[in-house]
Amino acid sequence: MSTTGESQNIEQATSAITDAPDNKTRRYDRQLRLWAASGQSALESSRTLVLSSSATATSILKNLVLPGIGHFTLLDPAITTTADAGNNFFINAQESIGKPRAAEALPLLRELNDSVDGEAVLKDVKELLGTEDGRETIRSFSLIIAHNLNKDVLDELAELLWADLTNPPLIVVRSAGFLADFFIQFHEHCVSQPHTDGTPSLRITRPFPELLRWARELDFDSVDPTTHAHIPFVVILVRAVDDWRAKHDDKLPSTSAEKNEFKAQLRAMKHKPDEENFDEAEAQAWRVWSEPTVPGEITSLFTLPPLSASGPTPNQSFHALLRTLNAFVGSPGGPGCLPLSAALPDMRTDTESYVKLQNLYRDRSLHEKEHFKGILSEIFPDIAAEVNEDELDAFLKNAHQLRLLRGRRWGEWAKDKSAIAEALQIFPRDAGTHVALTALSTLLSQAPDGSAVTADALRAEVQTLVGEGVELPEEVDTAIGELARAPTAELPNTAAFLGGMVAQEAIKMITKQYVPVNGYCVVDLIDSTTGIVGTP
Amino acid sequence: MAAATVLNGNAPSADWPGRYHHVDQILDKPGPRTDPSFLAGPGVKEFLRDQCKILVIGAGGLGCEILANLALSGFKDIHVIDMDTIDISNLNRQFLFRPKDVGKPKAIVAAEFIMSRVPGVTVTPYYGKIQDKDDDYYMQFNLVICGLDSVEARRWINATLVNLVDPENPESLKPLIDGGTEGFKGQARVILPTITSCYECSLDMLNKPTAFPICTIANTPRLPEHCIEWASVLEWPRVQGDKKLDTDNPEHIQWLYQVASARAKEFKIEGVTWSLTQGVVKNIIPAIASTNAIIAASCCNEAFKIATSSSAYLNNYFMLIGTDGVYSFTFEHQKRDDCPVCGGESLDITISREWTVDRLIEMLVERQDIQVKKPSLSSGGKQIYFQAPPQLEEATRPNLEKKVLELVEDGGDITVTATTLPFNLTLRVKYT
Amino acid sequence: MIKIWSMKKNEDAAAKKKPKTSAAQIRVQKDLTELDLPSTMKTHFPDPADLLNFTLTITPDEGMYKGGAFVFSFVINANYPHEPPKVKCIPTIYHPNVDLEGNVCLNILREDWKPVLNLNSVMVGLQYLFLEPNADDPLNKEAAEELRRNREQFIYNVKSAMRGGNIKGVQYDRVLV
Repeated sequence: MSTTGESQNIEQATSAITDAPDNKTRRYDRQLRLWAASGQSALESSRTLVLSSSATATSILKNLVLPGIGHFTLLDPAITTTADAGNNFFINAQESIGKPRAAEALPLLRELNDSVDGEAVLKDVKELLGTEDGRETIRSFSLIIAHNLNKDVLDELAELLWADLTNPPLIVVRSAGFLADFFIQFHEHCVSQPHTDGTPSLRITRPFPELLRWARELDFDSVDPTTHAHIPFVVILVRAVDDWRAKHDDKLPSTSAEKNEFKAQLRAMKHKPDEENFDEAEAQAWRVWSEPTVPGEITSLFTLPPLSASGPTPNQSFHALLRTLNAFVGSPGGPGCLPLSAALPDMRTDTESYVKLQNLYRDRSLHEKEHFKGILSEIFPDIAAEVNEDELDAFLKNAHQLRLLRGRRWGEWAKDKSAIAEALQIFPRDAGTHVALTALSTLLSQAPDGSAVTADALRAEVQTLVGEGVELPEEVDTAIGELARAPTAELPNTAAFLGGMVAQEAIKMITKQYVPVNGYCVVDLIDSTTGIVGTP
Repeated sequence: MAAATVLNGNAPSADWPGRYHHVDQILDKPGPRTDPSFLAGPGVKEFLRDQCKILVIGAGGLGCEILANLALSGFKDIHVIDMDTIDISNLNRQFLFRPKDVGKPKAIVAAEFIMSRVPGVTVTPYYGKIQDKDDDYYMQFNLVICGLDSVEARRWINATLVNLVDPENPESLKPLIDGGTEGFKGQARVILPTITSCYECSLDMLNKPTAFPICTIANTPRLPEHCIEWASVLEWPRVQGDKKLDTDNPEHIQWLYQVASARAKEFKIEGVTWSLTQGVVKNIIPAIASTNAIIAASCCNEAFKIATSSSAYLNNYFMLIGTDGVYSFTFEHQKRDDCPVCGGESLDITISREWTVDRLIEMLVERQDIQVKKPSLSSGGKQIYFQAPPQLEEATRPNLEKKVLELVEDGGDITVTATTLPFNLTLRVKYT
Repeated sequence: MIKIWSMKKNEDAAAKKKPKTSAAQIRVQKDLTELDLPSTMKTHFPDPADLLNFTLTITPDEGMYKGGAFVFSFVINANYPHEPPKVKCIPTIYHPNVDLEGNVCLNILREDWKPVLNLNSVMVGLQYLFLEPNADDPLNKEAAEELRRNREQFIYNVKSAMRGGNIKGVQYDRVLV
């Protein structure tokens, strides 16, 4: 009896050992399903500097502290006003009035997530900009976010950060009443996991030997009916293309008549009208219309000139991988196209065929990865030694949808009067709101309390920005009217909206997953619209 | 188990000078896109802060954000309903909750948090289902904001608010502001019941829930998901009998995970993990703080604009996709004539107290303006006369001889369906 | 709220009061009262006041299942037609597309369900399974195997199962009319 009891206990004990995730994984479960452990670890090693602890600034930080960034610094010399106590959720209402704002906000932000480290520095950024130590402190962060920062100070900060290619990106946020815009200043941003849902090539028209052999050797007419109804569409298409080429001078169907003929050929391969695998093949026939070319967006990355002719450039390993990819496509032992993805879509087939097909794709993709690595170690031995397997896998898996953004300096677009005039014609509301906000920041730099802001003054400023004589669309007046109504209003809802938007972009910048906005994102919370202007 | 209302601070004096410095810039004067009906100044502030009553449905990802935004905007009488308790996986975004709150009701914890942080605001929580409350309850609010993840609950509140509209009573029109998110995507919309497109009108815009063919699950699994569905759809009921699968119970998930793993191994399928198992059986939708913040802010912004008339409001749908840059689309979703909730024909009829159901049907068939053939009638969910199926026709046939008055009260409604109608016809019956 | 309230007044005519019947209920009323069933299919409501729970009996008048009466339970939830009705075969029957637990392999009951489909489509789909059992996508693998390999034997098994016979150790329910 006692042995039985013991063995039961052992059984209970082992079954109690669960594979259930630990508390940290459980806490972050809903976001790990988006950016996975790699994104999470990037967030956790990031350090963000936020200038101001306004309602907008604390809202942004809230949305970064919750998902678990590593560290944040609130840099803000302001004393909490009665107004701050009314519109900022991360201020202790009346109790905070008269006390340093950043210091009041800090504990309320930190309590959102124990694993995030934060500090409040009660200094003006001007002070930091004035010393080499201060400038070095600013540069040491991974990301800097500034909300409604004085225009001249902002220009100085932006200039400092633009000065070196390896300096961190800067997110500039401006808001008044229902209107706002934000902009990310960066030299270059590489996205190896854009999550843009592009479909990688299955190489139907350029099958690798094992796949071709399967398609050729399968006797479509003698297999039993169940097997026939479960031949994977990939194999059906490879065979159909092979047959087609044999009869058409090795060419693919190209005219619409030929495409219809090809589809008819697929239908003729059916044994029974309800064989859904053949329907699937017909629905996927578009995969046959062209050779697996390298998309233009990717080839343009191959020829991208370096950011700087001399000196260190950022994202060296990404560039090395891109150059290797280019060499891979042209290499004699390669497939002449992008590396094969091991990811196979689901299809109507039986388990055995699917697993077999999956293994063929996996083996071939590993084979091509080895080929890729061979080229990498040949051209970039240093990079080959330091690049890790996960990074390489992510790059290859996303080879068909890689993104590389080249950004602009803050304020550069403002100097291009003709571009702004053009944008006012094409996107009058978004461009109109953007120039009106720029005009407002100029007027506020003269009198931060908004006393210099009138509709006329704003209009005059806008006219200076876009050039005298340029006719302004009525949307400019609409925006100006709103800004004159509430020039210093930081509405809780606008702050919360920007808090989400800006944090979202910050997460994309930090994780290098998903694609951040490039240009000015303009928000109008009266019509409830967003728009982008000034895209490079 | 509604918690007692906890008042924080003493309400009127909680408005320290300058408290609404920011919001008042908007409320003190109109802007270029403000409707002429806007009454700038003390009147609108008083309405917002002393009279307006708003209901928040859901105290989760969107709900926490909504409550905080409303409180800061100046809404002071806020009610919140949520039937859930706090789970550790909520903490990456539901920012009013801390690890110590795990297991407690969301509505109550959220309400207490808001009241402790924002003085003078009363948040009245209800820990329970929206269906527990009747029309009188919903009638007390000026606005309703929904931050829900359930299609069913949204359909219910939508239909309830459409039903509440009484043409004689302007305040019976309760704007419904609905938000929803999924990963980096989300939407916010304004529904003016009976006036604009309603939730039911757009039901076909919803993504279909993923479902795999049952024969694939049973015989030709290819994906790890197929193995997990096999465990939950086929094996659980077979092995566990009537024991209900509780997807919140880690032991149940563990069981499914083990069964699915064994099957995957048998079929040489890779990729069954604990997390995937949980994701598939609970239909987990990725959720992050930032997207919730955007959508909740948009909802509250509309609530603020509608309550104060201080600016034009969203007409009527805002859709956001944040995966590739920031893309949003604002458009007017069209009302559907054949919407079962807000569409369909409605007819006021006055009939004799002596009329039988048979006579009424005869009249409906004869009327040129409606042209129904073979109508079936019900009232308040009760059958009056059904043309089919035979058993129900037989069961309801005796009603044909009854007086309509016996089955429908004066001013009551009759739901008429027929193949010749796009959806249904509502008759409002009065007797002479 | 002024704008909304005044708007309401202007649109009195458009505002219609609706009965307290859920959209799902009206839809079920519409579906049921417009059912156009052949004599081989009959619905039964254990509680005629409850439209959301009923059974369907199929008595095929041709094909290999002729002579049997097959009862299916229908359960419709408040989320209909966003979600399909839940359908189960009540007796244990010998059919390639129905398993021993009563699960039915019919695409429109799961992956291909759309709100534009209705109860009539589901019922017609179920009846079709008895006229044309599909051996390629089976739920009862052995039955399917038999149908593929030896149609005669399969038909024999169907008849025997319908009489309440035992096939390969599985006891089937008697479903003869």
